[in-house]
Amino acid sequence: MSAVAQAQAVTPAAVLGVRDLRVSYTSGKEILKGISFDVGPEAFFAIIGPSGAGKSTLIRCINRLVEPTSGQVLFGGRDLLKLDEKQMRLERRNIGMIFQEFNLIDRLSVIDNVLTGRLGHVGNLRSMFRMYSKEDIANAVRLLDRVGLIDHLDKRADQLSGGQRQRVGIARALIQNPKLLLVDEPTSSLDPKIAREVMAMIRGIAGEFQVPVLCNIHDVDLALEFCSRVIGLQGGIKKFDGPPADIDKHVLGDIYAMEVL
Amino acid sequence: MSAVLDANAFDERISQLVVTRRRARIWRYARNILVVALVAWSVEAIVIGDTDWSRITAAGVAKAAWRFIDFDASILLSLWEPALETLLMATLATLLGMVMAIPVAWLGASNISPFGRTTYAIGRVLMTLSRSVHEVVWGLVFVAAVGLGALAGVLAMAVRSIGFISKTVAEAIEDVNPGPVEAMRAVGANRFQVLMFGIVPQVLPVMVGNIIFEWDVNIRRSTIMGLVGAGGLGLALHRQMAAYNYGGIATVIAVILLMIIFGEVVSYYARKKVT
Repeated sequence: MSAVAQAQAVTPAAVLGVRDLRVSYTSGKEILKGISFDVGPEAFFAIIGPSGAGKSTLIRCINRLVEPTSGQVLFGGRDLLKLDEKQMRLERRNIGMIFQEFNLIDRLSVIDNVLTGRLGHVGNLRSMFRMYSKEDIANAVRLLDRVGLIDHLDKRADQLSGGQRQRVGIARALIQNPKLLLVDEPTSSLDPKIAREVMAMIRGIAGEFQVPVLCNIHDVDLALEFCSRVIGLQGGIKKFDGPPADIDKHVLGDIYAMEVL
Repeated sequence: MSAVLDANAFDERISQLVVTRRRARIWRYARNILVVALVAWSVEAIVIGDTDWSRITAAGVAKAAWRFIDFDASILLSLWEPALETLLMATLATLLGMVMAIPVAWLGASNISPFGRTTYAIGRVLMTLSRSVHEVVWGLVFVAAVGLGALAGVLAMAVRSIGFISKTVAEAIEDVNPGPVEAMRAVGANRFQVLMFGIVPQVLPVMVGNIIFEWDVNIRRSTIMGLVGAGGLGLALHRQMAAYNYGGIATVIAVILLMIIFGEVVSYYARKKVT
């Protein structure tokens, strides 16, 4: 099938289309062996699977933090894998990302961390002096209020607890005004109660902003509770793709076959 | 009895081990004898043969030492100015060295070097060059280039400082937590912004701490820069030596000692504050 025909094959409503995505390390080891799926608007998409299945790699291929070997990533009517460095950088502004280790800048204040989400729209000189527009600052304050950190906005990021840090990460991703939210194991560094709160917050805010979410998560219970669709990954191969209701012991056994052994 | 080896194999293994251990021991002795021989040869060639032993008498040594103890307080006031100059030279040199060290660190950090291996190699060569040439030699170079005076000393120490500052900063950059860097790339930040937000905040404490340390070291260096005509207390020392005023030499050395202690104390507390 030609690239054009493949691009047309995306469901019209889909925000993101991944086609036959492959990734190999320079050592030759293949991490992803031809993954395809579509993410529709307002979807809360979970990627589950054992460690080493390629979940993190898959999510990083979408915004090309990891460079895929072949395939297509269709987003906003374009194949992201065909963009040059500058074009890709501009496109990344439309894709928010939330990380397992939060990846905040510890020495900056909470509000400055949120504002780094606007860096793609700010020139070098202005960003060096952290001069953001009034609108950006207003948005940052609004988002910090939404995630419940309005009283902590002047604190240094490293003074917050894990759950609070992740909420700063959520605000940073949303100030981008993203059209897609990539979420990489948002709860692995958190205790179960906080993990549930963070998942609920991500789903709630994603609903308010009407932004689809693609979320790596190894905790199957959390995945089933919060997501509207699940992809099961094992050994770089898609083993399952469907609504959470279709997941039973048999499917899980298939996805987690490695761990059962 | 071992579960894996039978009796014959076991014996063979043991005799083998005895042989290899004996061989290792012989090598060890040979190596140690070689080291001792080398040291003995050096002492013979450099110290024993090259020293005028007839000059060294208990009375002579005592007399020489006594000359230094005759502390010359009359020059103390005149040392105020060179002492201050020494301090300012060290401070200026450290700041200038820092400014020059930043691009060198950028080139010499393998993870962010702009054009991969080529610029990395350039950065590393600059670091080594700066560090492997002694500050007095740098002083001679700059005295020849810009003439006698404090400027030559400042330039010499600044160039000498590049190596240490850029090397430690480059190493800090290589050890940076990649998380924030990844996050900054993900929001669409450009290379400069990734550097400013993902890396600089992480290396800043290390950098400031090492710059303060280098300032302390530069105070030490600037006290001898005068010996090659590059200003500061060293020049005062040189004058006293030229006049064979041993008491004056002792005074200058005492002032140098005080300055070094001052630098060390200030640097200790300042570094404690940043890290």
